[in-house]
Amino acid sequence: MVNIVFIEPTGAKMPVNINEGWSLMQGATTGGVDGILGECGGSCACATCHCYVDESRLGELPEASESELEMLENVAAERRSNSRLACQIKAVNALDGLIVTLPDTQE
Amino acid sequence: MFSFDPYDPSVDADPFPFYKTLRDEHPCFWSKQAQMWVLSRYADIVSAGQDWQTFSSASGNLMTELPNRAGATLGTTDPPRHDRLRGLVQHAFMKRNLESLSGPIRDIARTTAETLRDRPKFDFIHDFSSVFTVRVLFAALGLPLGNEETVREKAVLMVQSDPSTRAKGPQHIEAYNWMQDYAARVIAERRANPKDDLISHFSAAEIDCDKLDEREVLLTTTTLIMAGIESLGGFMSMMALNLADHVRARQAVVDHPALIADAVEESLRFNTSAQRFRRRLQKDVELHGQMMKAGDFVCLAYGSGNRDDRQYPNPDSYDIARKPRGHLGFGGGVHACLGTSIARLGVKIAFEELHQVVPVYRRVAEQLAWMPSSTFRSPLRLDLTVH
Repeated sequence: MVNIVFIEPTGAKMPVNINEGWSLMQGATTGGVDGILGECGGSCACATCHCYVDESRLGELPEASESELEMLENVAAERRSNSRLACQIKAVNALDGLIVTLPDTQE
Repeated sequence: MFSFDPYDPSVDADPFPFYKTLRDEHPCFWSKQAQMWVLSRYADIVSAGQDWQTFSSASGNLMTELPNRAGATLGTTDPPRHDRLRGLVQHAFMKRNLESLSGPIRDIARTTAETLRDRPKFDFIHDFSSVFTVRVLFAALGLPLGNEETVREKAVLMVQSDPSTRAKGPQHIEAYNWMQDYAARVIAERRANPKDDLISHFSAAEIDCDKLDEREVLLTTTTLIMAGIESLGGFMSMMALNLADHVRARQAVVDHPALIADAVEESLRFNTSAQRFRRRLQKDVELHGQMMKAGDFVCLAYGSGNRDDRQYPNPDSYDIARKPRGHLGFGGGVHACLGTSIARLGVKIAFEELHQVVPVYRRVAEQLAWMPSSTFRSPLRLDLTVH
């Protein structure tokens, strides 16, 4: 299990234990986090799992693929340098404790 | 001794008792009849769906695969080829790009619903969902009208399998070949007279400066037509069945149409139309004390994962207030359904308009005739009475 701390748009902290290998989107949606929709089911096709990753740990994540970068152009909230799609980030032990902040809106 | 045969008509009719035994007693089960492993718990299915490197789709994703299809469609390729193929068609299916379709979809829904006015009894599938889905698909793809009924009939036949031979029968292969010929004619027509539409773009597309393989163009188009008609229609009939059987839920969505979206999600969970898809192992995997070998096929039983009480409390109850996030009604991971947005939009509009004309309905027959299919589940006929 990998512990990821989601910060909801309300500011509420939602720590979620995610099975290793699952995406952060799957962990969030099954773990009761409201600020992520994940409408497409994780195929990088809807941009409704937009999140801001703790900048100090951004370098620990694999780089975004071409399709993730393309889909990030469609996010509803402000796109920032630490914007990622949660469906494209796999929970691995090295990311334990990662803080992921969710935008005000996903659609 | 327990067995699980996805070709057995009793599984078509009611797979849920089998699934419960699978989840509780045999979470990694070798089905002799299907010649594949069956994963039935929510968490195992999500994990497998996420790990496409191990659980490959390149040998086919349908439980009973159609000949020569594996490796040539979105559902039957792995990344990176899959991602590039998907990149070519995905844009057309994004929610914001479907807004222009909502007017035409509503017109189709309204016209179709109007034919039911003053009828005391009707077959939801023949009289409503098939007419609606085929017209929506034809509008979305810009196909010429005239042979909608035949296209629908072939789309429904090609996904079926023969329960006695546990394979595709000649009639299913004939339907599949017919659909390929039909798709080939549409592609040829679009190449001769290109329009600003999905099939025109797709049939001229290149991947890495490499034109798409003709088989990819043909079978991806064939699959889009099949899914647009059969999968959407199948799901609509399951949703109608749920609302016919659950009077309070139906009354709630009739009184408050905004709740239809919640009923759609709960229906996707409760009565998943794509019950099972398959993958093929690329390496040995040990799970729940069983050793699955590289090369073995594995069934991901989405319909079971959606009824897993480890994930959803009281899973056999249809509760439109549940908001079952993360359900597997559209699969999950890289192969999650391409048509999620158009399906949600189409079903929502269809039921809004249906309920304007037919606000009260219940099913006539206790026992339904179910489609023989190792992959999908929906009734062949759904008679509803409006009293």
